[in-house]
Amino acid sequence: MTQSHILSAFDRDLESIQALVMRMGGLVEAAILDAAEALETRDEEMAQRVRAGDKAIDALEEQINAECARVIAIRAPAASDLRTILTVMKIAANLERCGDYAKNLAKRSMVLSQMAALPGSTGSIRRMAKQVTLLLKDALDAYIARDARMAEDVRQRDQDVDQMYNALFRELLTHMMEDPRNITPAMHLHFIAKNIERVGDHATGIAEQVIYLVTGQLPGEARPKIDSTTAGGQGA
Amino acid sequence: MNDMRLTEKVVTETAKITARGVQVHYGTNHALKDVDVDILDKTVTAFIGPSGCGKSTFLRCLNRMNDTVASARVTGRIEMDGQDIYDPRVDPVQLRAKVGMVFQKPNPFPKSIYDNVAYGPKIHGLARGKAELDEIVETSLKKAALWNEVKDRLAAPGTGLSGGQQQRLCIARAVATSPEVLLMDEPCSALDPIATAQVEELIDELRAQFSVVIVTHSMQQAARVSQRTAFFHLGHLVEYGETGHIFTNPTDPRTEAYITGRIG
Repeated sequence: MTQSHILSAFDRDLESIQALVMRMGGLVEAAILDAAEALETRDEEMAQRVRAGDKAIDALEEQINAECARVIAIRAPAASDLRTILTVMKIAANLERCGDYAKNLAKRSMVLSQMAALPGSTGSIRRMAKQVTLLLKDALDAYIARDARMAEDVRQRDQDVDQMYNALFRELLTHMMEDPRNITPAMHLHFIAKNIERVGDHATGIAEQVIYLVTGQLPGEARPKIDSTTAGGQGA
Repeated sequence: MNDMRLTEKVVTETAKITARGVQVHYGTNHALKDVDVDILDKTVTAFIGPSGCGKSTFLRCLNRMNDTVASARVTGRIEMDGQDIYDPRVDPVQLRAKVGMVFQKPNPFPKSIYDNVAYGPKIHGLARGKAELDEIVETSLKKAALWNEVKDRLAAPGTGLSGGQQQRLCIARAVATSPEVLLMDEPCSALDPIATAQVEELIDELRAQFSVVIVTHSMQQAARVSQRTAFFHLGHLVEYGETGHIFTNPTDPRTEAYITGRIG
C-alpha cells in the first residue's frame, strides 16, 4: 500500500523501522562476506572485527523489536500495517541469526588459520557466502519493493546454495577419507558450510515473509529441497 | 473466502436477518445502494465505515426506523426468520419489540429507573401483574450488568445515573421486551473507557441470546466485540466477512485503506 496515512506520524514510524531493518541487513551481508574473506585470506584481524561487530547487529534487532512494540501499543496497526510489523519482527530475527552464523564463521576461521589449509575448500566457501548474501540482499529488496514475485524467485534460488553445500560436503568427506589429519579442519569447514547453507534458509524465510506481507498468505506448496547429504544415509 | 481461524468460532451460521437488494433514498439522495447481507443469529456484527457511508441508514432499515423519516424510501427485501419485515401486515411497533435499539447518546425516559425498564413490557403487555413485572425489571437490569449498582434505588430518576450507567439502563430497557435482535448505533461514543469496556463485555454476553448489530466509528471496538464485520463506503456494502479476516487481510483495497487509516 503506497498511499500514505492520514496520520503522518504513523508513516514516519514505519519508515524509521524500515530503515533499521535495511541497516541491519547491510551489516549482516557485510559480516558474512568479511568472515568468508577472512577465512580465505587467513586475516585474523578481520575475523576479530566480524566477531565484535555482531553486537551491533544484536542491538539493532532489540531496537527493531522495541520500535515494533511501540507501534503496536500506540498505533494499533491493522491489515497491511499489521502484517508489516509482524514481518519486520520476523525478518529481524532471521537477520540476527544470520549475524550469529557470520560470527561463528569468523571464530572458526581463527582456529583454521592455525592449521594447514585444505586446498580449494575456502574458495568454495567464499563463493557460497557470496551466493547467500546475494539471496539475502534480494530477499530484502523484495521486502522494500513489496515484490512477491522477486521473493518467490529467492525461494527457488535457495536450491543453488543447497547444491553448493552438497558439493562441498562431498569434497570435505573426500579430504577426511584421504588423510585423518584433515578431519579437524574439514569438520570446521563443514560446520561453516552448513551455517552458510542455513543463512540461505533464513533468506528463504525472509522471502516467505515478504509473500505473506504482500498476499496475506504464506506460500503453500513446499519449496524445492536438494539435500543429498541426508538422503543417502551419509547424513550430516 | 479463506478461513483464517483468527476469531473464536461463530456459534451458528444461521441467518437471522436476510437483506437482498436494499436501497434507501432520502428524497433525491441515494443513501444506500443495493445491499445484500445475511446477519447471523447469536453473533455480533459490526458495521464500520466513514460518516455518511450508509451504515446507520442500513441499521435503521432493520427495525423500520426509517418509516419515521418522511423523505425516506426503502426498497428491496429484508426478512427476519423468513418473514418480510416490510410486509404491510407487519406492525412496526411489534417489530421494534423484537428488534430492540440502543442509541449513541443514552436517552433514559424522565422516569424512575424501574419505570424506564418496565415501560416496554407494560405497553407490550408482557407481564401479568406486578410480581412478573418486578421480575422482568430485575433480570433485565442483571443482563445489562446494572442491577447491583441500582437495586437499592429503583425509584430514583434514571437521568440521575452516570453516563455509562444510563447507557446500560437503555440496554436493560431494550432487553426487557425480550428482543431477538439488538441494534446499537454507536453505543459507546459518549462513554468513558471503563464504561465502554463494561458495555463491550455486556455485548459479548448478550450474543449468547441475541443477534447483535453494532454501528461503530471505533475500528478497535469493531475488532474487539464482533465476529462479523461489514464495511460500508459511499452507500455500498464493500466487504462483509469474518472480523479476524477483515482486520488482518481485507480483500477490497477500499477496506484496507479505511481500516489502516488511509481514507476518511
